[in-house]
Amino acid sequence: MDNALTSSGMKKSFGRSLLYTLPMFLITFMFMTGGRPDFSRPASALAMVVTFLFVNILYFLMHYTGKTDKFRAILFIIFALSLSFTLINNMLETRNSMSFSQADILECKIPFCHLVIPMMILPAAFTNSIIFPGSIIGGFANIASMVVLWLVATLVLGRGFCSWGCFYGGWDDGFSRIRKKPAIKKISEIWKWMPFAVLIMVSLTAALSLIPTYCDWICPFKAVTEFEQVTSVESATKAVIFVSLFAGLVVVLPVLTRKRTQCGFLCPLGAINTVSNKVTPFTIKIDKKACTECFKCVEVCPLFALSTEGIKEGKASVFCSKCGKCVDACSKNAIHFGIKGVPSCTMKNFSRNLFLFVSFLFMSVFSAGSIINSLQSLLNLIF
Amino acid sequence: MTDSLILGLSSGSSCLVTCGMVMFPYLMAGSAGVKRIAIDLSLFLLTRLVIYFILATLAWYFGQALFSNQVVRNVVPGILYIVFAVMLVWYSISKNRNQECPAKIVKTVNNHRLVPIFLGIVNSLGFCPALFIILTKGATQGTLIQSYIAFLAFFIGSSIWFLPLPLAGKIRKKEVLKTIGILATGLAGIIFMIKGITNLIGGIING
Amino acid sequence: MKKVKIIAGITWAFICLILIIILFPGLNSFSASAAKLPFMKINPNYSGGEVAQQLIATGCTLDIRKPVFDGLIKKRNKGFVQLDWRGNVPDKIVDTIDYDLDNKPDFCIFVDRDQSKTVLDPINSKVRDIIISTPTSYGWAVRVELIK
Repeated sequence: MDNALTSSGMKKSFGRSLLYTLPMFLITFMFMTGGRPDFSRPASALAMVVTFLFVNILYFLMHYTGKTDKFRAILFIIFALSLSFTLINNMLETRNSMSFSQADILECKIPFCHLVIPMMILPAAFTNSIIFPGSIIGGFANIASMVVLWLVATLVLGRGFCSWGCFYGGWDDGFSRIRKKPAIKKISEIWKWMPFAVLIMVSLTAALSLIPTYCDWICPFKAVTEFEQVTSVESATKAVIFVSLFAGLVVVLPVLTRKRTQCGFLCPLGAINTVSNKVTPFTIKIDKKACTECFKCVEVCPLFALSTEGIKEGKASVFCSKCGKCVDACSKNAIHFGIKGVPSCTMKNFSRNLFLFVSFLFMSVFSAGSIINSLQSLLNLIF
Repeated sequence: MTDSLILGLSSGSSCLVTCGMVMFPYLMAGSAGVKRIAIDLSLFLLTRLVIYFILATLAWYFGQALFSNQVVRNVVPGILYIVFAVMLVWYSISKNRNQECPAKIVKTVNNHRLVPIFLGIVNSLGFCPALFIILTKGATQGTLIQSYIAFLAFFIGSSIWFLPLPLAGKIRKKEVLKTIGILATGLAGIIFMIKGITNLIGGIING
Repeated sequence: MKKVKIIAGITWAFICLILIIILFPGLNSFSASAAKLPFMKINPNYSGGEVAQQLIATGCTLDIRKPVFDGLIKKRNKGFVQLDWRGNVPDKIVDTIDYDLDNKPDFCIFVDRDQSKTVLDPINSKVRDIIISTPTSYGWAVRVELIK
């Protein structure tokens, strides 16, 4: 294998990589098929097989090459694209439009996404109800299952949810990889605190107005999912805002800065996940002895989790989403995945293997549904 | 009431950052125990409330005189919201913010018992963009009571930040809280800018 | 102490592994349990409120829901009442509504479904305006603005 791929030091042999992939192979097979693969519908069966092989090949390559971020990002980006494709396809088939109507709101048919969660908390505490026109249980993206999924994922992964679970993060992650070098290099660190300010403002406004204000006014991802019909000055203003935010924070700025600016500067759920980073057992550790303070890791980190002061102290901040970019970038193997409580530089392989298994399993099963649906739709279109 | 409360909450953070650290020593100077601190802080807040009610009355009567026409009532405040909101966003950028608190003038007051009252007057009349926005809002309300409610909500929002002042020394990570507070002020400015634009366009279309 | 930290860290990591493994197969039952939590119901401002009365005539059911004035802490001054017509809904709807069950009519509503026109004739001074009038998958729904 090409030596340029071995700089992480976590590379395994072909046989060992296969062995490490076997549990993932078996578990994803069980989860995707329910233990009873159905080959009666060719398009569905082919889509399932392709998805199954695809995710397991990526996992195998993570072990075989020792690289994490590249393969994580492939699945992460495809997840984001496939979810938007599935949603838009579904909306066009059922409503002939990407916009939802007043009837959809009245009938509580709006699919729930985890970005609503920050705004639900205060109203739920005071009014004992959820301020969202969705379904509690049953149906697509119901509230109960999305809340359970996010809660478990954030406890287990902390802010790792933002790089291994969020089905929107793939958008700005993808755009941030287009240029080889950033056109804008200097970005003030003050902006990484913006999600907290957004969290405070949307929580307060949502609580006082009983409207999920982030979703109603700001969410840039309405540009690639669904949005309110434009029937008034207010709804037109909302449309301008979310399209502008998508263009600016999800497309243009990530391209120019090679940073995930929507996730790093706006997302209020990212702020909450930052807090849960204190709970997760998984972390990034820095070996101060091996580190030559080249700060390449600081340069590549997409979420401003690393700083020169932090590197000198040997730690990543709570903003770390454990994407693995810094780990892959370090030529001295000075940064590695770790487990809290375990000293730096000990049990490196074990920590990485355990973290990868947990995070990749979550991402592959969470994304499988929309990837299979998208492939199926494409196959039905072609044949 | 919601937006007035939010405006107060977000502007109060930046007000505390610039003025709080000046006022705190004066509020605490010569104090003997929790009771004295509570009385000083209460006098300070009460003075602010009285000043705000006076401003609410003046703003409403002014608005009644100027904004008699429904279209003017939407268009002019819409423009004012946008202008003051831009100022609020500009104000939230640290290098543009005047780091000098007007409360420093309190050094000239000799009688300590008058200091909280004097601080309350100076603080509430410190014409910052947030106050301009709430004055505009007060001027456009349908009734005087509604103007009072808007100013009350603004007062409550901004006063919450002053309540933990006596504990200021014990709070860690002040810099982080300060940063988040300033960013929240800027966001409030953006909210009012959008409100202003929506009002303006709505007023133009209806006019 | 160092050993305790290592054991605690690894134990928590393995618990997380188990959580992720059981999460997806158990999602339906976890969600069902979560759905039973007291706050897991849609706010009346979105759901329209509970059905207060049901009137049935010629295969068409009219659900008159309880007025909704819900706020964060206390009731709001402005609210609405939602009406849902289900089943065999006529093209032209004409109904007189008593939403507060005081045996006095509060408003009349005329809906021309083909023209998508809705006219409100308030009788009670607390009845203000139409907020929403829209076709739905079950028939037709109207929300009428009320004041307290």
